[in-house]
Amino acid sequence: MRRIIILKRSLASLLAILVCIVTVNLAEANEIESISFLFPAPYAEATRDLVQQFNRENRGKIKLSVIRGPFATEAMSDLAISSLILGKAPFDGLLMDVTWLPKYAATGWVEPLESYFDQDDVNSLAVGAREGNSYENHLYRWPLVADMGLLYWRTDLMKEPPKTPEELILISKSLQKNNMVDWGYVWQGRQYEGLSCVYLEMIEGFGGYWFKTNDNKIGLDQAAGVEAASWLQSLIKEGVSPQAVTNFAEQEALQSFRAGDSAFMRNWPYAWAELQQADSSVRGKVGVTTMVANPGYSTATNGSWGLTVLSGSSHIDAAVKAIRFLTSDESQKQLFLKYGYTPTKQSIFDDPFLLKEAPIISELGRALKVTKPRPETPLYAQISDVLQRQLSGILTVEQTPGNGMVHATRNTEQILISAGEQR
Amino acid sequence: MIFLLFLPSLLLLVVVFLLPLFRYSWLSFHADSVVTGLIAIPNGVANWVRLSLDQRYWQALGQTFRFAVVSVSFELILALSIALLLDQRWRGRNAVRAIALIPWALPTTVMALGWRWILNTPYGPIDRLTNLIGIGSLNILGEPGLAWLATVLADVWKTTPFAALILLAGLQTIPSDLYEALRLEGANSLSSLRRITLPLLRPYVLLALLFRLAQAFGVFDLIQVLTGGGPAGSTESVALYAYINALRFLDFGYSATIIISSFIFICFACLICWFLIKVLFTPQRSFLKKVS
Repeated sequence: MRRIIILKRSLASLLAILVCIVTVNLAEANEIESISFLFPAPYAEATRDLVQQFNRENRGKIKLSVIRGPFATEAMSDLAISSLILGKAPFDGLLMDVTWLPKYAATGWVEPLESYFDQDDVNSLAVGAREGNSYENHLYRWPLVADMGLLYWRTDLMKEPPKTPEELILISKSLQKNNMVDWGYVWQGRQYEGLSCVYLEMIEGFGGYWFKTNDNKIGLDQAAGVEAASWLQSLIKEGVSPQAVTNFAEQEALQSFRAGDSAFMRNWPYAWAELQQADSSVRGKVGVTTMVANPGYSTATNGSWGLTVLSGSSHIDAAVKAIRFLTSDESQKQLFLKYGYTPTKQSIFDDPFLLKEAPIISELGRALKVTKPRPETPLYAQISDVLQRQLSGILTVEQTPGNGMVHATRNTEQILISAGEQR
Repeated sequence: MIFLLFLPSLLLLVVVFLLPLFRYSWLSFHADSVVTGLIAIPNGVANWVRLSLDQRYWQALGQTFRFAVVSVSFELILALSIALLLDQRWRGRNAVRAIALIPWALPTTVMALGWRWILNTPYGPIDRLTNLIGIGSLNILGEPGLAWLATVLADVWKTTPFAALILLAGLQTIPSDLYEALRLEGANSLSSLRRITLPLLRPYVLLALLFRLAQAFGVFDLIQVLTGGGPAGSTESVALYAYINALRFLDFGYSATIIISSFIFICFACLICWFLIKVLFTPQRSFLKKVS
């Protein structure tokens, strides 16, 4: 009796081992490549359908999963970096803000992609979308969504949007005087990256520049730099913008404009869809144009998001395939129509169907032509940080624009010097 | 053999405390940043020289000290009154004890986000209130001085229960016959507070103080969520500055220098506190001596 039990047991374990071997072999025979990308939460949601479609088309070969990151850009960057500095990242690809690229490329965290995307691919991009994808002559990033600063205006309050900074103040003041709106212009004045974006549009708009990477020239303390800071300060001083704008990010500005409290707003293209929702007080009363500037200097800060493959990924081919799918014409159309994400391919801006169906695309295309990148250097985070600090000081009227910009320039020089010493 | 008994805790201390401390001290004498390709290259005292000249560091350090001293003082005074109240016998005391713990039980990020919305101008309730009573909009989080006060307020609200809990535990160790003895001598409750409660509570006050001081000095999450260090850097703490240097600027060498220097400062601060408490609360003239 006992012997039979032992026999049975050894047979059973033998069978179990056999089953194991067979399944392992089977799995190897049709191995599915699992790849994962980390996306900020809004993009993860917007691409859910596309990801499903990709997985259907590649069933049995590639399984793409998108990890949903945080909402805020800075929180997203912190998450990505803290997983990267620990060594092997738990994902193959990353959806990356335009300003992160030099830093990631300099540390060797991203894979060069020029052998996967040729010149024809690059030529298919709209001119404004070709920027910010390369660092030191290597292509690292393929743009998923073009994003740029826009001026939103109320079509029910005026016939034409303002073109110059003075016009914006004049129109705002007269509307405020006639009690048509509480505030003229809402924007991003909080001490964070958004403030640098606002400022870049103004300093370029007054004919100046922030930082030239080729010869390390800093333009903050020159006439246009000070003028841009003074103009932003005067918006608050003269009551065109609420005092609270010094703590506004995109969300707060949108809240004010969406409630019909303001005549103008600076924001990214995503705001368009929000303003057209049923509970928006300004639905159907909103126009979009490029930021006010001295004639000929209109500028939109480039805030595009692009896909990168992380070094050390063992599925580069599959990841590139996924990138190609997510950035295809069809995908971009879908992202634009459903979520208002600005396309990166020129062909979509010329699509007669879209031009008729969603005329805003022509304005977006126009803004995309005047996009400017923020300084493309691995030290960008530091350089932007000192600028934000000084600007915030100027806006909360602790600091004169002239002094603040001199400080910002000196601090930027300091950063360059101490980086030079480390090199 | 007794050595074996505390080996596990010793090991834990070495792993979570001593090792990082050594590693960061070592790193503070190296350049390790995005410029060096994240490779540590010895650079002598360059980081320390940079630190000593870094205005922003000294500003953050000053702000952190101010924050820690002001918020911990308020917390201890409030906590003592709350602890005394919760130590008395009255109906519903247990329920109140539980409720009083809620702020401390909330995750800091959650409560900081809550405060951010409460203090939001112009859509938060505080702004409504100040407009209603005719003060007008205060723009609390957009004004350097007010934003700093907001961080103190949020910290006091959040961590007073923690200090109160420690003090309450201390109050319950004081034998009640001491109070009775003093009452027989005809003393009022104020003098019993001064002569029995405070001297006997001393080790607990010290405990709460040191815990809170160390935490307040390392304040990070509250500020990161509530103000992000702004406006104009007026609420930036040392920990936030170290974090920004490491994770945003990828300058690990300098970040390590900031961390080690603030570690040294807080050691000094705690020593001074310990000494002060010892002097302030000496039980020489207290009733205890008479009894014993």
